[in-house]
Amino acid sequence: MIDAIPMGETLYELAIVVLIVFGLFFTFVSAMGVLRLPDIYSRAHTASQTDTLGAGLALAAVALALGWQQATVYTVLLLFFVFITNPTAAHAIARSAAESGIEPWTKDSESEEGESK
Amino acid sequence: MAAERVLVPLSDTVTVRQTVGYAVQSGLESGEELHCHLVVALPHEADLPESRQLTEEAAELLSKAKNWVREDAGSASVTVETSLLGTDEYLFGPRDFAGAFDDYAKEHDIDTVILDPEYQPGATAQMLQSIERELDAVGLAYDEAPVERPARHERLVGDGTEHFDRLFATFWISYAFYLVLGDPTYWFDLVTGAAVAGIVSVSLAHITFTFPLDRVQSPIRTVRFAFYIPYLIYEIVKANLAISIVILRPSMPIDPTMARVNARVRSGLPLLALANSITLTPGTLTVRADDQRLIVHTLIPSAREDLFDGALERAVRFVFHGREAAAIATPRERGDTEVLGGDDR
Repeated sequence: MIDAIPMGETLYELAIVVLIVFGLFFTFVSAMGVLRLPDIYSRAHTASQTDTLGAGLALAAVALALGWQQATVYTVLLLFFVFITNPTAAHAIARSAAESGIEPWTKDSESEEGESK
Repeated sequence: MAAERVLVPLSDTVTVRQTVGYAVQSGLESGEELHCHLVVALPHEADLPESRQLTEEAAELLSKAKNWVREDAGSASVTVETSLLGTDEYLFGPRDFAGAFDDYAKEHDIDTVILDPEYQPGATAQMLQSIERELDAVGLAYDEAPVERPARHERLVGDGTEHFDRLFATFWISYAFYLVLGDPTYWFDLVTGAAVAGIVSVSLAHITFTFPLDRVQSPIRTVRFAFYIPYLIYEIVKANLAISIVILRPSMPIDPTMARVNARVRSGLPLLALANSITLTPGTLTVRADDQRLIVHTLIPSAREDLFDGALERAVRFVFHGREAAAIATPRERGDTEVLGGDDR
């Protein structure tokens, strides 16, 4: 935890803002990825993973903003569970896609017919 | 058929005695003479000190089983051979066990394998995929012994200290979690927390921990896991940046491929930790985990290279087995990697 008092309020707030900005950035990239990537497997990458860091950084910013209190503990726990459940969900999606027999998009399939654009 | 040759893999289960009995009985029915091969397949890392005890237990089980065969055979002519498998190689998961049985069967001209329905190789190896399927895959004929067995939970109740350890661990973990959510200084929360943790531990202890806990190792693993988390976060941030750059570039230079990695971690919790970590790291996504064969979808080449370098695998080995276990060859050096798909599909 960053100590608020000796470092000054501004630095503390700056840390929160930086975390939020990065969180937003990764969430934005995640959304971009879902839109731009070609197939379900590669979309599952960004939908879950970039989002994990986006949500993670935002939650870290919330924890900093709340300071040292009970709700912060909940936020950290939330962070922890997001980090466990997110890959599990991504794996479930990818696995069911594989079991339904969806072929992953490759560089070659683009030149042929541009499969699932 | 003059002589019937059967292979009986043994493990310490409640039904092992009946399985041996069935093997002898059915073997004598179909042939005049019976060659009974009793084997115990040891799980990986038999040379570690903690596994030495396992080896001794295996030898004991073999000698006990030998006596059972003599008992059941009576006056019929039965030859018994016992053997320990997997002492000089690493056996991971059912596929390796099936392979080891197959090698043994070829060497000794075995007709069938008599399988114990409760068969669990080693004390801790957890089965994700059944050994039956793997035996089918290697083309080895097997016969499952018809046994009567008590329900699984009774066996767990029967094992005193192990059961207590699970209860103890589940109780304190759930109690701690309850108090984190509640107020540890408020008497009401302390009392209700104890009650809830009691109910949770009694009803869920044997589900939470499907492997035997170790009083020394388990806390140490928890501490090592705490070291693992910052490393994992560093890896996640690093990979996230790499992926973000790729996505934001207008040309989007992605190269999605399926890759297969044979991970050298034990099934169950270590495998879960590894598969989850791989998925958490952007650019790699675990699609399937058939025991130690992980099918991973990789988005960009650099993520694939990292995967084949096996840094996460080493880290997970460090968490569960300590520092010496972490120093193993990379999957690439072991030849455990393979890029799937492409033209051969």
